[in-house]
Parts: sequence; structure tokens; C-alpha cells
Amino acid sequence: MFPTRTLLARSVWKGPNIVPLPIVRVVPGQKVVPIKTQARSATILPNFVGLKFQVHNGKIYHDITITEDMVGHKLGEFSPTRKRFTYKLSKNK
Amino acid sequence: MVFILGVSFHESRLVKKCLETFYGIGHQHSSQILAKHHIFPGAKVGSIPSKTITAITAELSTLKIENDLRRQLRDNLQRLKDMGTYRGRRHAMGLPVRGQRTRSQISTARQLNRIERRG
Repeated sequence: MFPTRTLLARSVWKGPNIVPLPIVRVVPGQKVVPIKTQARSATILPNFVGLKFQVHNGKIYHDITITEDMVGHKLGEFSPTRKRFTYKLSKNK
Repeated sequence: MVFILGVSFHESRLVKKCLETFYGIGHQHSSQILAKHHIFPGAKVGSIPSKTITAITAELSTLKIENDLRRQLRDNLQRLKDMGTYRGRRHAMGLPVRGQRTRSQISTARQLNRIERRG
């Protein structure tokens, strides 16, 4: 019976982690340029909905499109940082 | 036999324990329900009048328990999965979700973490 998870995770007086991102409202008809960022800890705000981001995972930039469900989560949650372990046979013994 | 929310219980069982057999009702909720209907904690099911039983059943039917609660849990996990979050992925893989080590001691996560979680 917690109020919300968000309240437990971070002090309320701080508010959400707002990172200044270069958000440009594009005119409809023009090509949407994704916003390239390394700010994985930036909270997704309601005005991000519909925008395209490229979020760094330490190596490459993952493309994500923000939907309404994602509001309140962090950008980094959508850009996985770990590679699945696969066994590679070594040739030289 | 006494019927609470369509489930039959033997007269000799404690009311509190009977309520706690429903998924979503634990110690805290069952105590609240008992207090609300003026039943003492050690009361047996057979000793309480049928009017109270009906009242308890009516109250239970308003709560989000059993299959409704299970469905909510599943929907929440499915939402995480569909969004493509790290948490959703970890649930789908059956691995710890909150950054625990995975070298050893992940039996709980292996048992429980899945998208179609039973509850």
C-alpha cells in the first residue's frame, strides 16, 4: 500500500530529474530528427510524448519513440546496456 | 459448511484464517474486516450469524481480490514488457529485476519472474 513507487525512489522536494534536452518542435511535414542524448537518468515528461530519442547505452545509441505509457520512467530504462552471454568456442587451446 | 463469496468453509475454522485464504487479503485486511463487523479475532465461522456472513461477502465482492488482482498484476507486467523497459525484459527472462547479483541465489526470481505470473 505505497502511494507510488516514484515517491519512494526520490525525495519529493527535488521533483523529477529534469535535464535540459535540445527539444525542437518540428513543423508537420518535415522530417523528424531524433534527439541524440547520453542523459539516461532524465525523467520522461508528458511533453516528450511522440518525440524520437536516441539514447546512449555506453556503446551505441538506441532509437526509442516515446509513448504515453512511458511518462514517469527514465530514458535509460529503454536502452539496454548488457549483452546476452553466448559461449564462443576458442580455437587455440 | 458456511459459504463466503462462493467458497465453502468448515464451521470450526477461524474467520480470520478463512478470509486470508482469498488472494489479496492478508493479515491487515482481514483484521480490518473483522473490526468493521464487530467480530473478535478468535471467532469461528460457525459462531457468527448468517447476516454478518452476507455483509462480509458483500464487502469482499467490492474489493479487488482473486482473479481481478491477478489480472491487474499480469497487465502491469505486460505493460512493462510492451514498452520495452529493462524491468519488463528481466521479468520475461526470469531473472532478478532490481539489480541483484545473478551468479548465485536467484531461485526466487526463477520461480516467480515471468510475464504470465500466477500471483
